[in-house]
Formats: sequence, C-alpha cells, structure tokens
Amino acid sequence: MSLFDKFDPLVQSRRALDFDGPAPVATPFEDIASPTRGTVAGQEVILAGTNNYLGLTFHPEVIQRATEALETLGSGTTGSRMANGSYADHGELECDLAQAFNWPSAMVFSTGYQANVGVLSSIVGPGETLLIDADSHASIYDGCRMSKAQTITFRHNDVANLDRKLARLGDDAKRTLVVVEGLYSMLGDQPPLADFVEVKNRHGAWLLVDEAHSFGVFGHHGLGLTEHFGLLDEVDFIVGTFSKSLAGIGGFCVSPHPEAELMRLASRPYIFTASPSPAVIAGTRAALKLLTSGQDLRRQLHKNMTRLYSAASDLGYALGSDQPGPVAALILPDKATALAHWQQLLAQGVYANLMIPPATPAGLCLLRLSLSAAHTDEDIDAIIHALSALKSERTQAISA
Amino acid sequence: MDEATQTVRAAIQQSLAAALPDHQALDWDVALSATAGLDSIQIMNLVMEIEDHLDVSVPVDVLADAHTLNELAAQLEKLVGDAAT
Repeated sequence: MSLFDKFDPLVQSRRALDFDGPAPVATPFEDIASPTRGTVAGQEVILAGTNNYLGLTFHPEVIQRATEALETLGSGTTGSRMANGSYADHGELECDLAQAFNWPSAMVFSTGYQANVGVLSSIVGPGETLLIDADSHASIYDGCRMSKAQTITFRHNDVANLDRKLARLGDDAKRTLVVVEGLYSMLGDQPPLADFVEVKNRHGAWLLVDEAHSFGVFGHHGLGLTEHFGLLDEVDFIVGTFSKSLAGIGGFCVSPHPEAELMRLASRPYIFTASPSPAVIAGTRAALKLLTSGQDLRRQLHKNMTRLYSAASDLGYALGSDQPGPVAALILPDKATALAHWQQLLAQGVYANLMIPPATPAGLCLLRLSLSAAHTDEDIDAIIHALSALKSERTQAISA
Repeated sequence: MDEATQTVRAAIQQSLAAALPDHQALDWDVALSATAGLDSIQIMNLVMEIEDHLDVSVPVDVLADAHTLNELAAQLEKLVGDAAT
C-alpha cells in the first residue's frame, strides 16, 4: 500500500499514449524561433497549437519593455501584492485594464488559473450559489470548490437549462453567480451570450464571463465576446488571462462594480501568491496597448480563422464549432485515429494539440489547431495542405 | 419502499437508458468510476438526465459524496424531500 497507488489509473492512461516518437502530451520543444516556428524532435514545425492568438510573444515592443523592466527592476518581486510585490507597473497595468473597459475595478493575478480561483472563491461563499456551464475550465471548477458555495452545473450552452435551474432557486437566484466562457477552448465554440444575459437579468442573477480565449480575438477593441455583442453593460465580472493573446503569464478580473476591489482583502489566491515579475508585467502592458489600439492583428487572425475553417470543412472534417474562431477542433472517431492524425500532422511539419477523454467534452477525440495573427498566408496554406494530405492518406488506408 | 424512493429509482433507471444505454445493467453497489469504469463526463451526463426527470438541481458536491448508484439514490431522495418541503 503506497500513497502513490491512487495514481495508477492516470499512469495507465498516460502509458496508452507511449510510442516511438515525440510525445503528444507535454511535447518537448527544443527551440522556439518565433510565434509560429519551433523545433520538435529535430524538425522545424509550424506552431498551430500554442494559443498565441495575436502572435505577440516576439513583438519588438513587448520584448523591449520586458527587457528594460528585467534590467531595471530585477528578475522577480519575491513577494505577494499584499506585502512587497506591488510595484508601480502592477498598479499601472490595472489602470490600463480598467481604462480599456472604462470600469472602476481591475485586479491582476499571477496566473489565469488563479484569476478564476481567486475571484470565484472570494466573490461567492457559503449560502450562495454558483451556476456554471458543465464544460467550464478546471480553474472554474476549482474556484467553485474553494468558495464552499453551492455549485450547480447547467448543460453546455443550454439557455433553457440555465433558465430552469435559476427558476428552481427562486429568490436565491439573486445571490447566484452564473459563469460562462467567451470561447470554450476544447471545441472552440461560443456561448449564446445575449440569451444568457436575458435569462440572468430576468432572474436577477449575476454574470461572470471568462474571456481567456476570446480576449484579443473578438470586439472592436479586442475586449472579447462581451464587447463583440455590445453586452459590456450587462455583465458583472470579466476574467481573462495574459498567457494567450497578451503573450505573457498572469490573469485579471475587471468589473463595473467598484466593490470588486474588496477581493484584494479576501481572495486567498491573490493574497498568498508572489506577484508577477516586473518583466512579465511590463511585457503585458506593451501587449495590451497593441491589442487595444488597432485592428490589423485581429483582421489577419480572422482571415486565418475563416480560411482554415472553410478548408477543413471542405475536406470533410467535422469541426467543434460552425462559427470560425481561433480554435479549430477537428472531431475524430477514436483515440487511435486522433493520435495517428497528430503524429502524421507533426511529420508534415505542423504542431497541433491532441485532446482526448476525459479532458474533452462529451468524450470526443480531438485534433485541436489554434491560429495566430502571426501565421502568414503561406503558413495557412501549409496547414491546409498538411490536412489535405492527411485526409487523402487516411482515405486510401481505409479503402485498402 | 416509499414513494420518494420509488420515484428516484425509476428516474435513475430511465436516465441510465437515456444517458448510458450500454450501462443499464449496472450493479447499484459498485463504484461508478472505479469499478463500472464511467468517466466524470458520463457521470455528469447521467446526473443531468436525472435532474430533468426529477426536476431538481444536483449540486456538484453531492456527486463527490455519491460513489455508487445506491449512494446517489440516497442523496437524491434527500434533495427531492427538501424540494417538496
């Protein structure tokens, strides 16, 4: 009997993915040369599975600001925001975020995961209710658990199911926070946000939108799906991450409620974590300026999204969403086929993500491609060509 | 067997047929994940079906405490009883 025995099922699941060649889980990168190029097992590949939606990881302004902060302020803050870890730039980044939304409250967290855990565990508590989409990210589930609030799931993107569950709560709906995501990272699908807003308003509930995968991608200023649908006046909290469109690491929560600042006094994941390093904060400020100040990056990203969705559909692939987005999830019939696709795509010079149960919704096996504004037209051509070659190889194999 | 128990058991049986047609013959005393081999998504889908049948909302922590169908049934009976009062 060992403390480690309980990990046996995980070990067996992991072993099922063992084979000769690069690992599809925790794939080691020997080099990263640009937002769209890396080296895996000695081979240069197009990066199409890195969530680098605006391709800002190597942007000169981001690098310059981060480098200056590293050289002038040091490598780390060595303390939490509540102690010695609040530098001028941490506050300035919060001001930048608050100004972008024109809201009074913005808080920076050390990771996107911690932003969800930190917000949910402090805003909602015992005697209150969290109503979350069943396909929510692990950070949302973990935040719910830490809140000690009653947590109920509703069917993924199902407005009627949410309506029924709010109705069952009666007056308690007014002390209920509904949580949805702006874009679900596994299937790349979006919520019917306007319908969710109508339902939560009718019941007097509160609404948090996690824009981790939609911030920088949608909306005139890149603020996410909420901005895209003109619903910024209808939500109570928006959570986001710095580790996708903003090309760094960290997370944030913005709110039209000035009282949201009280979380600084109550959120344990905020209080008891070292603050992000000066270089990360400075780089994120530069990236946020690029994200909110122009349309060029989003225009290129949307062009890439539309092209890939259209081509994958023409090739006969079933996609996780019919609305083009930064994530294109190819639905494959089983684990073996998904793994074969992942390997063959890599062999053709394209790195994507293999996603299999139980990490996926509805037990689906997925090959997940994420797009970037830094992908050139030629990169998209190459990805489509690789998918096409893969499709014809598989078709020939099945015929044989 | 009282009426609430019968209602809950019927709802579970009907939900098994709808959500997990390959697992209708489950032993009600075996652990759903460890022994019956259901993953968390299958269990969640089953519970969502049950919620529709019984017109109750099942909190996530109830699932964490119910490892078998009999344990789930016991938790559901409490929820149905609470909803009725």
